[in-house]
Amino acid sequence: MRVFKLKRDNFIPFMKGLGKFGELWGPVKKGDHHVYAQASPEQFDLKAIRTIVPAKKFFLPKKSTILKFKNNEWTEHFDVKKRVIFGLHPCDIHALNIYHKFYTRLYPDPYYLKNREATLIVGLSCLPDEHCFCNLTDTETVNEGFDLFLTDLEDRFLVWIGSPKGDEVLKLVKDLIEETTQEDIDEYVAWRKKRRSMFQVSLDLEGMPEILTFNYDSPIWEEMGDACLSCGTCTMVCPTCTCFDIEDEYDIRTDEMDRQRFWYSCVFREYSMVAGGHNFREARSERLKLWYTHKLVGFMSEYGSPACVGCGRCVVSCPVDINVLTVAKALLKEKPDAFWARMASLKNMEVEHA
Amino acid sequence: MGKPKVGIYGLTGCAGDQLNIINCEDELLKIFDIFEIESFVMASRAKNENVELDVAFVEGSVSTEKDLEHLMEIRKKSKILVAIGHCAVFGGVQSMFMGKEPWIERYKKVYGKENAVTLTPPLEPKPLAAYVKVDAVLPGCPIEKEPFLKLAGKLAHGIVPKVPDFPVCAECKWKENECLLLKGQLCLGPLTNSGCGAICPSMNIPCIGCWGPIAKENWESEALLLLEKGYKPDEIVKRFAIFGGTERAELLKNFLESHQKQESGK
Repeated sequence: MRVFKLKRDNFIPFMKGLGKFGELWGPVKKGDHHVYAQASPEQFDLKAIRTIVPAKKFFLPKKSTILKFKNNEWTEHFDVKKRVIFGLHPCDIHALNIYHKFYTRLYPDPYYLKNREATLIVGLSCLPDEHCFCNLTDTETVNEGFDLFLTDLEDRFLVWIGSPKGDEVLKLVKDLIEETTQEDIDEYVAWRKKRRSMFQVSLDLEGMPEILTFNYDSPIWEEMGDACLSCGTCTMVCPTCTCFDIEDEYDIRTDEMDRQRFWYSCVFREYSMVAGGHNFREARSERLKLWYTHKLVGFMSEYGSPACVGCGRCVVSCPVDINVLTVAKALLKEKPDAFWARMASLKNMEVEHA
Repeated sequence: MGKPKVGIYGLTGCAGDQLNIINCEDELLKIFDIFEIESFVMASRAKNENVELDVAFVEGSVSTEKDLEHLMEIRKKSKILVAIGHCAVFGGVQSMFMGKEPWIERYKKVYGKENAVTLTPPLEPKPLAAYVKVDAVLPGCPIEKEPFLKLAGKLAHGIVPKVPDFPVCAECKWKENECLLLKGQLCLGPLTNSGCGAICPSMNIPCIGCWGPIAKENWESEALLLLEKGYKPDEIVKRFAIFGGTERAELLKNFLESHQKQESGK
């Protein structure tokens, strides 16, 4: 992998130069959080840790038309835009790599593939906050799945080239980058050390596939099911959740039937409902169990690694604190500080009183 | 297949749902093109009630005997009956006290006496489904243009549509909003039918549930969560009751009361 240096003062022109490839998208502040938005690079927040919704939205849009029917004929519908997506952290890129496997292996998805082809992925290094745990999921560094990757060393960036496309695009900004020096390498090594020391979550996540398998009938699923609001937020914000639903919508304005594909969630009640009205996972606890076993066990056997990248989105997004960390803690018999656990102990107390 | 014959009717309500159909200005001609509109009193005095309908859209709750009679007639002559708007689907705000106390007590409070003169004998306000089979629903207070057009498009093709079975939160995340519940606001997103496009939370206004309660929602959990966030049981029950129907509000009230007893007994 080749690496260059980019002075901080050159960051804006560098990004603007890459903008010749396509629309510029990056992390922009929204309230107290961040979202990937189309913006000029001056607006990008390089300190953003995690966006509300992950970069999967570029590859499997939240809602999109995939087919159009008119006069008994149908045509595939693509809405592909050339984009530069800046600011993906190593966990986000790992998640995209999982996405890639899912959407290309058995049934290559033309919509995914076209979107992916039209995208330039420019990664950005990060320093973890108290919810990050990519150090436990083996996703804290990344070697593939990006075109360019910027390591932020404050007064300069290291620019790693990750693909032939990245190499090609770098020609657009060749006057802005320089060869690296020994000092840069030393700084990078020190930066890595500093970053590694900043992780705050410690937990035996590696053991999860076995522990989850052992705990298939654990009462904690019921406890979580009692608290789960089935709001679907966990699956919407999870960068490796791939599920969607499809609906045909007739547009009376154009006399066209649009086949819409939109993000769906296995925690929704109808997800496991089949023709005739039978529901394989009527109970919320069953649906949660599906999510966690698929993510941490099922993926393991299918793709060789669990589908959690430690981004912490579920940790900061679930209103009742059901997330990879509290679930793992509970299964490891460490008491999680979580609403669902408090609700469960309340209920147990009521049972004792009765 | 000929054009479906359609009637659009209103029972007791603010008529906002019918109005929102008329507000589809750019699409009105199209609507009249795909449907044979037999009756739509708000739009035209010309009407034909002596014809079998393929689809009847009915807004408003059943709040008088006349409403009930009218609904029965509509049901009898319609293949597909679609309840539109919160009043028709869930009873509307006028039904928020349903079952709370004998209805006549409230009636006396409002009219000053038991046998006040009204145009038609009143009834406890109820949704259409309390009396007749409802084939499809479009919730909302009032209904929104886009969901209505989609529903109309489906019906024109003989598809009986269903409401999405997921809450506002999903659409709220599609909009990439910050979660108002996490920010400590009394947001009913997790308990409310989606379809509105999460309009209110997208404007930083918590969801008040106007698309009605989603099937099998987990109100126990949300109520306890709101208690933990410092809301008073009374506040929670009141917010739930506006669009949630009394039955649920009563269950919730009992639940919170027994919970409080438990807490104080500790």
